[in-house]
Amino acid sequence: MKYLKVTTFLIAAALASPVAAQEAGGRLDIVVQPEPPGLMLGLVQNGPTQLVAGDIYESLLRYDSDLNPMPSLAKSWEISDDGLTYTFKLNEGVKWHDGEDFTADDVVFSADVFLRETHARLRASLAYVKSITAPDPMTVVFKLKEPFGPFINAFENGTMPIVPKHIYEGTDFANNPANATPIGTGPFKFKEWVKGSHIHLVKNEDYYVDGLPYLDEVFYRVIPDAAARAVAFETGEVDVLPGGSVENWDIPRLAEMDGVCVTEKGWEFLAPLAWMWLNNREGPTANEKFRQAVMYAMDREFMRDVVWNGFGKVATGPIASSTNFYSDDVTIYDHNPDKAKELLAEMGYDGEPVRILPLPYGETWQRWAEAVRQNLSEVGINAEIDSSDVAGWNEKTSQWDYDMAFTYLYQYGDPALGVSRNYTADRIKKGSPWNNVEGYENLALDEKWAAAATMVTPEEREAAYAEIQKEIVDDVPVAWMQELTFPTIYRCNVNDLVTTAIGINDGPRNAWIKK
Amino acid sequence: MTIFAVVVSRLSKAILTLLAIAILNFFLIHAAPGDPAVVLAGEAGAADEQMIEQLRERFGLDQPLYVQLGKYVAGIVQLDLGYSFRQGAPVAELIADRLPATLLLTLTAFVVSLVLGIAFGVAAAARVGKPSDTVLTTMALLFYATPLYWLALMAVLVFSVWFGWLPGFGYETVGANYTGLERVLDIGSHLILPALTLGLFFTAVYMRMARASMLEVSQLDFVKTAKAKGLSDAVIRRRHILRNAILPVVTLAGLQAGQLVGGAVLTETVFAWPGIGRLMFESLAARDYNTILGVFLVSAAMVILFNIVTDIVYRIVDPRIGARS
Amino acid sequence: MWKRFRSNMGAMIGVVLLISVIVIALIAPLIFSDGPWQMVQRPFLAPFAVDGLPLGTDTLGRNVAAQLAYGARVSLLVGLVSTVVALLIGVPLGALAGFYGGYVDEGAMRFTEFFQTIPNFALAIVLVAIFEPTLTSITIAIAIVSWPPVARLVRAEVMSVRTREFVDAARLAGLSKPRILIQQVLPNTVSPIIVMASLMVATAILLESSLSFLGLGDPNSMSWGYMIGAARTVIRTSWWLSFFPGIAIVITVLALNLIGEGLNDAFNPHLSRKGKA
Repeated sequence: MKYLKVTTFLIAAALASPVAAQEAGGRLDIVVQPEPPGLMLGLVQNGPTQLVAGDIYESLLRYDSDLNPMPSLAKSWEISDDGLTYTFKLNEGVKWHDGEDFTADDVVFSADVFLRETHARLRASLAYVKSITAPDPMTVVFKLKEPFGPFINAFENGTMPIVPKHIYEGTDFANNPANATPIGTGPFKFKEWVKGSHIHLVKNEDYYVDGLPYLDEVFYRVIPDAAARAVAFETGEVDVLPGGSVENWDIPRLAEMDGVCVTEKGWEFLAPLAWMWLNNREGPTANEKFRQAVMYAMDREFMRDVVWNGFGKVATGPIASSTNFYSDDVTIYDHNPDKAKELLAEMGYDGEPVRILPLPYGETWQRWAEAVRQNLSEVGINAEIDSSDVAGWNEKTSQWDYDMAFTYLYQYGDPALGVSRNYTADRIKKGSPWNNVEGYENLALDEKWAAAATMVTPEEREAAYAEIQKEIVDDVPVAWMQELTFPTIYRCNVNDLVTTAIGINDGPRNAWIKK
Repeated sequence: MTIFAVVVSRLSKAILTLLAIAILNFFLIHAAPGDPAVVLAGEAGAADEQMIEQLRERFGLDQPLYVQLGKYVAGIVQLDLGYSFRQGAPVAELIADRLPATLLLTLTAFVVSLVLGIAFGVAAAARVGKPSDTVLTTMALLFYATPLYWLALMAVLVFSVWFGWLPGFGYETVGANYTGLERVLDIGSHLILPALTLGLFFTAVYMRMARASMLEVSQLDFVKTAKAKGLSDAVIRRRHILRNAILPVVTLAGLQAGQLVGGAVLTETVFAWPGIGRLMFESLAARDYNTILGVFLVSAAMVILFNIVTDIVYRIVDPRIGARS
Repeated sequence: MWKRFRSNMGAMIGVVLLISVIVIALIAPLIFSDGPWQMVQRPFLAPFAVDGLPLGTDTLGRNVAAQLAYGARVSLLVGLVSTVVALLIGVPLGALAGFYGGYVDEGAMRFTEFFQTIPNFALAIVLVAIFEPTLTSITIAIAIVSWPPVARLVRAEVMSVRTREFVDAARLAGLSKPRILIQQVLPNTVSPIIVMASLMVATAILLESSLSFLGLGDPNSMSWGYMIGAARTVIRTSWWLSFFPGIAIVITVLALNLIGEGLNDAFNPHLSRKGKA
């Protein structure tokens, strides 16, 4: 297991890649797609915002690709044996981009006041927290009500970005004019945002880690068209295509170019897992046999190879293989049309049509839905595709007006943070397109999820999650499709770009360009 | 009527039309499924009821529809197009950012296609029935039948990908920080493909109009009189037919402006041109009500403006109209 | 009249092309019984790379030839039906306005003008997005943006016809106004309407393909615009995926335009050889 008993770490971040001869200077052009709605990471946490603002803001910890915590704003940390007290020692000499000193008060304000109000996902973890205090300017203490194993994963930048108290205290956070010119502690400072064109960040000369960052400036380029993004990379206008910014079938062509590198790393923390919500409440999908038939009907290997061009991994169950506590000791659903037909005959499927709702995120997802429809029709399921834009998708899934709906969600390193929320009955809430949209109710399993989250030792948790996975995979509450990989394409002379579990989101911090 | 009076009366009518469009669009778009608060919360990656409620309250979406409409219309009257939830900025600002790009594209395409269209139309009419006329009219028919977006794609493929002569997307070379003439040339080179593809369809339209109009005028009495007086064909064409034939083309071209603005949506999509057409399409997907409404209003206003301008041009070129009406 | 039409070479070419497209649309299910969505081979096969796949395969390994044939069905259907619907809105409105004049005319024309001021492609996008893209919503949206010119044309025709002598005669004979309109006036406006309708079908096909291209097509019907939109991102590696459907659209729209012009010339012999404005 990848879990590591954390006591105290004292590694200088600069030593993370001990290769000599990092060269300072240069400019990096990275594609950002779509244009972020805002850059104030405490208010907006969607993908594009995390990508750009991940250079401006920081949190207490960073995570390596095995999800082990590394220092960031905190230089060391300690978890008490009962799992209830988390003590962080902060780096000295850290300054906000406007020159003010960064202190423990900023952390307390961010976690306890600001993010509690604005950050729904963190709020769920903060429910376990009894108090957040700053005994001295360089120390922060989180006290929990009960042990919460995954809490150590909550100090990631997109989860708990630290915001400046001196700017936000006592203001209307959402409408603070300072949101337009974000002030963080990160390796790059906000310089300019030309809407529809680019966001320009420049090196933070006063960054508290000596020598970092190497780059002088970073441009995040808004190019609203996938084909145009590919051209921009080819012509050398941009250096980095973050995952998902070009269509999958363009990747092999770009990867073959001279001096171009591709990596699938950098998504370990998010570990996006794609599935179809099967409506457990009504229609054919309410029948467990039908749901199993759907699993057998689909040729998920083919979809991975053709729709995703070979990138990714066919999912075996609710937990992605890079997330802690993954187990493959479950029923495996291979492509078996005969078995699917058998199951359909057993349940007496009468040809009632089912609607497939694709995720409105571009051509790949549309093709994926078309491939599923074709597979289903081959075993006699009468399926049609429901069309939708982003708004329609949100509306239909949150109002439960669908039969099968594509989605993918991040796992945030731990089943208790990113997985159980999709399967427990207390997370069935109409009006939200997240959480338990399929309407799966299994109260016995709910108790196991809850217990596994608060067990103190990793060994106990591992056993508990293995049991849960075995059981839930037979119920098929949702049709697990694939662990998604979004390969990052970049020029090989850019070094140390993807070194952490969140990849490019905090990549420019250590990146350098070989001249 | 003086030109000033014409403008005043046309403008006052235009304002009423725009207001009606605003109200209609408001109801149309609110009838659509999709709640902007849900979309926004969803994009943040962690929607819960509390957050959605907060957003609704913040954007006034929790108020009754008529209150929202009243506020919207009251804002419009003061030239305030509302606030974009999605982009966190006033709509007027977003549109103002993007409008120059669209104006540049549509105006260039408009002028190019009008000039080319009239030139080809006149040329074809002068050689009516001859092979060169057949070639020109056939070309026009072909371009008339070609989907704009497809032509755009093929143009990118040929001129940008295969030959590498022209940039295939965007408005300018980002980060190059050109100034002065260099910048003009840079934007110009980016403009060529989109303006030409958008313009070709309209060139075909205007050419057909110009040709037909030329032929029609040439059969009118005054032309026959001129011929009887023994004037040469070339002189008659220049002095008598051309001016009378071109006027209706200009008017009709003004009426086509709506199509031009619509075509810009497609062109801007293919060429990643950062104009309001592109803005509208992106906002639609996020149900960014105020932005969509704003773009609608502005594009309708653009159409009206095109009409008024062509009307004025018409009156200047041909003062008889003013006297007649 | 038919003689004049027949002697027009362009128009005859148009008829032949259109009939070919119609035939292909009709027999598509016979030639390609698996439908346009069946994944038959490796993706991205070039034309003629494999026997039986003369136009190659698309991003999922589906037969491009089959997709083209089925696409013809959607284009023709949407083009035809939306034109009929547009006529059903535009003809009565224009006829009433032109025949009754006065406030009726004023009101109807303000209404028409209003619709003409909104950029029609933008309106079509919004309508389809609101009703969600299905064949029905696409057809209705296209009809709603294309009726105003019909209303204007019919109004102008009716206004010119209603002052003719035979209409006066009918009035003196004591026929009611609606009967005069329907029995005497409207039949005389049929030929320009037919010409306009044939051109409208062409425009509707272009509109449908533009909507599909932007992703606002019916996801359960294969259409040419959808094919081009889906192939847009692979244009550099597989140009044929967007090339052939584009050609199909050009041929069909061109055929309809040729026919429309031929009809126009045939109906208006004194204007022939002049083209159409």
